[in-house]
Amino acid sequence: MVEKQVEAVDVINMKKYFTSIIICCFVIGMSQAQTNTSQGTYKKKVLETAEVDFLMSYYTQKGDHASVTGGIGNEKLTDVTPTFIVAVPLNADDVLTVNAGISAYTSASSSNLDPFDGARSGASNRRNNEDDDKVAARATKVTGSPWVESTGASRSDIWATINTSYSHSSDDRNNIWTADLGFSKEYDYSSLGFGGGFTKLFNQKNTEIGIKGQVYLDNWNPRYPTELDSYLEAGQNLNNGFFANIDILDQSGNVIDKNGSLVWSPLQTTLVTNKSRNSYSLSINFSQIISKKAQFSLFFDLVQQNGWLSNPMQRVYFADRDNYYIGNASSISKYTSKSNTDVFQLADDIERLPSSRFKVPFGARFNYFINESVSLRTYYRYYFDDWGIRSHTASIEIPIKFSEGKFTVYPNYRFYNQTAADYFAPYEFNLSTSEFYTSDYDLSKFDSNQYGLGFKYIDIFTKFKLFKGVGLKSFDVQYSIYNRSDGLKSNIISAGFKFILE
Amino acid sequence: MIKKVIIGAVILVSASSCVAVKEYEKVNINDPDMILSAALIKRFETNFQVYREGASGANGGKTGGGCGCN
Repeated sequence: MVEKQVEAVDVINMKKYFTSIIICCFVIGMSQAQTNTSQGTYKKKVLETAEVDFLMSYYTQKGDHASVTGGIGNEKLTDVTPTFIVAVPLNADDVLTVNAGISAYTSASSSNLDPFDGARSGASNRRNNEDDDKVAARATKVTGSPWVESTGASRSDIWATINTSYSHSSDDRNNIWTADLGFSKEYDYSSLGFGGGFTKLFNQKNTEIGIKGQVYLDNWNPRYPTELDSYLEAGQNLNNGFFANIDILDQSGNVIDKNGSLVWSPLQTTLVTNKSRNSYSLSINFSQIISKKAQFSLFFDLVQQNGWLSNPMQRVYFADRDNYYIGNASSISKYTSKSNTDVFQLADDIERLPSSRFKVPFGARFNYFINESVSLRTYYRYYFDDWGIRSHTASIEIPIKFSEGKFTVYPNYRFYNQTAADYFAPYEFNLSTSEFYTSDYDLSKFDSNQYGLGFKYIDIFTKFKLFKGVGLKSFDVQYSIYNRSDGLKSNIISAGFKFILE
Repeated sequence: MIKKVIIGAVILVSASSCVAVKEYEKVNINDPDMILSAALIKRFETNFQVYREGASGANGGKTGGGCGCN
């Protein structure tokens, strides 16, 4: 808890830092706009005036395949993400962009990192380094369930991010260099990213080729399922610590003899050994105008990831090991049913995945201007990696303008499918003899359909003023429904305001 | 598959020299709805798709980094 409070202070400090940077950019943007006007620059600027985007989304999901509880259980989740993006013209050729935001979420799946709320056990829910023996002594009746959202600290978290990018364009605007640096942090994870790119336009700006390299250096501050954490803290002795005064039940509901030969123990007692996760990507894109009304682009990425690529919070239950529980014996027979509210199965292990992954996605966009009112936007991507996932993604969007182009409605549809990763198996289907295993349904075989409807308002003259010198250029709102064939359903509403600093 | 994509890309680059839409003819191409990237507001959708799906990348967005734990 103390650690969590320290992390909360860090996040608050980070938010103050972000706010200061955004205010600085705002002030620089205002001064730049005024300076350039007073100097009477004739060269057309890459960005005429500073722009501020305020974006926000609200996401909800529900499903029955929570990965923290081994592929079954409540995976309800909500997420709110306010974000600011400030783009400032430093001069006619250079633009500085600062992007800062947070993501505040609550997750039923994460909450069950410690499903035994009553016992106040484990790292995710301990009060001020409270001694395990005292904790266990207080735990008169310990229950939990993968179907019940717990109230512990791991139930919610805030992810905060800031990213700064800089771009420079040549005088003829045919060469563009970019560089970026970013950092993000949440309770159990931090990420440092940086990269650079170059874009070349030629053929009277009808053709464009770009190349970009990006590196992410990430680090885990790993949190584990509470029973695994507590087992190691208790010296692998079920008569100590958290387990001392708690009954462990076998599959038949009988209390086991903790000194006997048939007792629960995790498959491995070595958890995360390498806390880093690094990603390296190379992206190439090619764009071509093919007529006055049509253009397309091709994308190609090579991504290499190394380090701890599995999630230490996610439990795995093996088919070839006996099952043990804590809670109400009479509920064991209905463990996989939502009616189970008071028994929880002890994990066999956390998920284990290879320490490297090579991803190759490539895709294409084709846009066609049908007439003054209607356009067609299409996208396709094929993806494969060395974990066995193959995927197709296709989407179509049809923006329809009305009221002289001020308003646009854009219905859209996206189809996605994928094969399962080689290491995926559902709850109680993995084998302990395997080297790698997971029950994370994000890596399972599924397809999904997403339906969306958006509405956009654009006023290039920025007649509406928020206050003096700040005009609203556009407003955009979109709602989408996402249905995955494994039963996961989600909704997301996003909104964005673009302001011009005059 | 990769070989086919590379051959296709080379053909497209070669063919591109035959086409030259003049700047003053690009009024439709420069329409905001014709931009060859996802709209800014789509970034949140892209984020949750990256978390909820095994595939990612090749959309001009983020290709790595981040936990995706929830």
